[in-house]
Amino acid sequence: MRYIYVIGFLVSLPVFGQKDTIQEVDEVTIQHSVAHITLPYRTVRTIITEDQIREIQANDVGELVRKISGANLKSYGGLGGLKTVSMRGLGSNHTAVVIDGFGMQNTQTGQVNLGQVQSDNLVAVSSTKGKAMSIRVPVSSQISGSTILLQTFENTFFNDDTLGIRANIKYGSFNRMDGYLGVKYNPNKLLFSVFGLIRKADGAYPYSFENGLETIEGIRNNNDYQDLNFGGTFGLNLKHLTFRVGYKQKEIKQGLPGAIILYNQTQDERLVTSEKNIFSDLVYLKKNFSCRWYGNANLNNLFYDDPSYLNAVGGIETNYKNRSLNSGVTMQYYLNDFTIFAGIEEFVADLIVDDSLFAKPLRFHNFGILGFSMVKRKFDVHMQLSTQYVSEENKNGESAPDRFRVNPFFSLTAGEFKKRLMSVLWYKNSFRMPTFNELYYNTIGNILLLPEDAHQINYGLSIVPFEGKIDLQIRTNVFINLVKNKIVAVPTQNLFVWSMQNIGKTRVYGLEAISNLKWELGAKWKLQLDLNYTYQRTLDYTAANSPTYKHQVAYIPVHTGNFDLSVYLLNTGLRVSNYAISKRYALNENVVQNEVEGFVITDISLFHKFKFGEKQHLNLQFNVKNVFNKSYTYIRSFIMPGRNFLISISYAFN
Amino acid sequence: MRSISLFMLIMLLFSCKKEEPMPCVDETLTNGMVVLCEGLFQQNNSSISWVNFQDNSVANSLFVTKTNRQLGDTGNDMKRYGGKIYVVVNVSSTIEVLDALTFESINQIEMVTGGIAKQPRSITFNGSNAYVSCYDGYVDVIDTASLIVTQRIPVGTNPEGLTIANDKLYVANSGGLNAPVMDSTVSIIDLFTHIELQKVVVGLNPGAMLTDQDGDVYAIARGDYNSIPSRMVRINSQSDLVVDQFGFDISGFSKMNDKFLIHYYDYGSSQSSVALFDPALELVESPSYLEMSSVNTVYGVEYNASRNRIYLLDAMSFTNTGYVREYDVSGTYIQSFHVGLNPTKLLFYE
Repeated sequence: MRYIYVIGFLVSLPVFGQKDTIQEVDEVTIQHSVAHITLPYRTVRTIITEDQIREIQANDVGELVRKISGANLKSYGGLGGLKTVSMRGLGSNHTAVVIDGFGMQNTQTGQVNLGQVQSDNLVAVSSTKGKAMSIRVPVSSQISGSTILLQTFENTFFNDDTLGIRANIKYGSFNRMDGYLGVKYNPNKLLFSVFGLIRKADGAYPYSFENGLETIEGIRNNNDYQDLNFGGTFGLNLKHLTFRVGYKQKEIKQGLPGAIILYNQTQDERLVTSEKNIFSDLVYLKKNFSCRWYGNANLNNLFYDDPSYLNAVGGIETNYKNRSLNSGVTMQYYLNDFTIFAGIEEFVADLIVDDSLFAKPLRFHNFGILGFSMVKRKFDVHMQLSTQYVSEENKNGESAPDRFRVNPFFSLTAGEFKKRLMSVLWYKNSFRMPTFNELYYNTIGNILLLPEDAHQINYGLSIVPFEGKIDLQIRTNVFINLVKNKIVAVPTQNLFVWSMQNIGKTRVYGLEAISNLKWELGAKWKLQLDLNYTYQRTLDYTAANSPTYKHQVAYIPVHTGNFDLSVYLLNTGLRVSNYAISKRYALNENVVQNEVEGFVITDISLFHKFKFGEKQHLNLQFNVKNVFNKSYTYIRSFIMPGRNFLISISYAFN
Repeated sequence: MRSISLFMLIMLLFSCKKEEPMPCVDETLTNGMVVLCEGLFQQNNSSISWVNFQDNSVANSLFVTKTNRQLGDTGNDMKRYGGKIYVVVNVSSTIEVLDALTFESINQIEMVTGGIAKQPRSITFNGSNAYVSCYDGYVDVIDTASLIVTQRIPVGTNPEGLTIANDKLYVANSGGLNAPVMDSTVSIIDLFTHIELQKVVVGLNPGAMLTDQDGDVYAIARGDYNSIPSRMVRINSQSDLVVDQFGFDISGFSKMNDKFLIHYYDYGSSQSSVALFDPALELVESPSYLEMSSVNTVYGVEYNASRNRIYLLDAMSFTNTGYVREYDVSGTYIQSFHVGLNPTKLLFYE
């Protein structure tokens, strides 16, 4: 029976679970060789900007990422709840998250809990799938299935200003209080920055759901959340050389409310997360050559406490310490129309669990990448090969065998620049390693697991029909993905003892349609409309004799969409955000009993910017989330908050 | 603005919601069987199906139809006693008491003490009492008239199966939540005094229990799911000593007249088997009693005396909806009924 809990735990908890700079640098460097190509069309992709981030006032990065087409958010609750994102049906472990050019890693669960990544200090959020070859992105992240790029205010150099300040305070429903202060001092060639973020909420939100003919109403228990983030960075910006070194720390205390179990509201599990991170990089940019060295060290500590677990000692207290260290070099060399790209990274991670049953794994993971691209007037070609070698040592039992893989990537882009039309075809082969939990978690783990393979083929078309006062971009992508050796939990000893096996096979057929419109109506009015729609049939192809053969995979919706409209009158604005997700299934079998209802959630924000001179402004904002007070769930029995409010005041200098 | 119309179209798609067709269930239940389906942990999807033997139709939401609400999370046991049916819902920590004829709700007993869920597992009856094993280390005594918990008898860790023999209650102490250091005892309780007489060691991780015609008690020590296999042991209810340990593999058992139906699912080879065991001779009479070609994952077997048929519960890999498969007493497969997720217990109606 314990294992069932562990499975629940694995599934429901994190156990157990750049825009400007990047773009500018890439564009500038490519422009050296082919100056005549109007590059914005080459880099059309969804970027959530600083203004949008402020307007949306997301609880965390998870809520922002759902705005990106192809992203499927799984959320287990409100503030602080586990949130993971999967791209185009690949599973969340195929998505790498990069912050300020450094990969966020968790080798224990293999996924980043986006519910614990704050958005207040972000100035850009974007996502890449096919795009490759950027010296600013770690090798390990570039070769994953897809990448989410986050950029913070603190770790970005200014171009000219010497002092920058961001501050905000918020108060919202369920006793939520936030405060953030980021100060960046950028005299001459130096950069000093510090930031602090604090958040608190009791999270006792009311919920209601239909139970047969009854409506059950309750208040979420044990859902309090408290976090503290702080850090500082020092940087040096010389003519060809940029250097950064920084430290940041995160301390989180939270209740784990779990699923809303019918008739039983006695959850009292707690989780304390502590994460310390040191990062540094050195970027050298010259006419024909650019390179970057990067390194970071991360210590993640999770303390899980279930005081009412019905074992003999009367509770469980387990500590999971996941340490990682990585360092790499990326470089790019240009010669006329050609670019050569190379990179190497070494990643070392271990896990120490104070549970005698758990293994003591240590992983050495080496990544290599070699790419070549040719940029012509009307087309460009990218080719890339990546290698990965993984070696593991378990000091507390058998180790998983060594793994070596070579993965190709290819893309062909063609543009009709007069017609502002661009099309791209790419193929990417990638894999994700089994996580420490999957390999070693007591009896659940299976050291013989193979990496989970993914093949992605994408054809995309983007067009910019209007530019200027009316600015419109339209993009579509069609894609076919194939996942083999998919890692799934299956009962192996009895119903209570599950184990991880490489048995799954999934095919994904999808389509994305994205449209971004900016419209200046006279001198006073401005309008922005962002629409996206994703269709994905993610089908189980594991076994032809299975009842779930060709059924839509659990928790992947066929349809998702965003509809965001902002209207601005001088310094006042109104934003209406709609997020829609179709029906999903809680298990792979597509039967009525497993249906999880689709929903449309509407958020509204009203804001006014008070300007004080050129450099300062104060933004006053009022948000209503879930305006129509809809009772909805991403995951069955994890009911999300109803209508809630947030008032925020933010201040910016430069 | 093609995108906008596309968006509207999507909104339309979202607003369609299919309702599950509900086959009719009569006011009073006759000529059929009630199937308790466990569901999956933390999914709130335990359910009860009604199989009508008249026309072989299946209604998969009997509980919802009759009570207008959901059963809850992980229904683990279901028994009929007198005019009532008791459904033990483990993770929801409730006991649903229903009218045996109409299946209407009489009471829902909340099994919570001091803010902690007791997690009831199994139920058995004697006189005016129901005995419920609770994972917090007690057997609760419930008065079957008032439906109130009158006493909590402390036993071993994480008790599971219960059986009665020779005026004593036998409780399997699994210690399952202490893995890998599980319990290996059966608590023996005097039915008159409600005092634990002794604990007898039967083997690692005891689960299901059964009493035969001669008053012998059988327990399944499920082992560690790894190197220690699951074995059936026999306790003499006079001496309360373990007198036999049988060498065959076993997952669960039930009674068929004087005999036992023994089922086993081998997780390694994914093979299911059902054997017939004679507790008078202490011998396996037929090792492959039921024909298994249509079975995916055997999760239980029950015999219905009035129809003289055997019903096998097929859990279909545990994450897909299950089947109840009907056999005649020669072991020949007759037909299947498609029910809910992880069917675990049956009750028959003439």
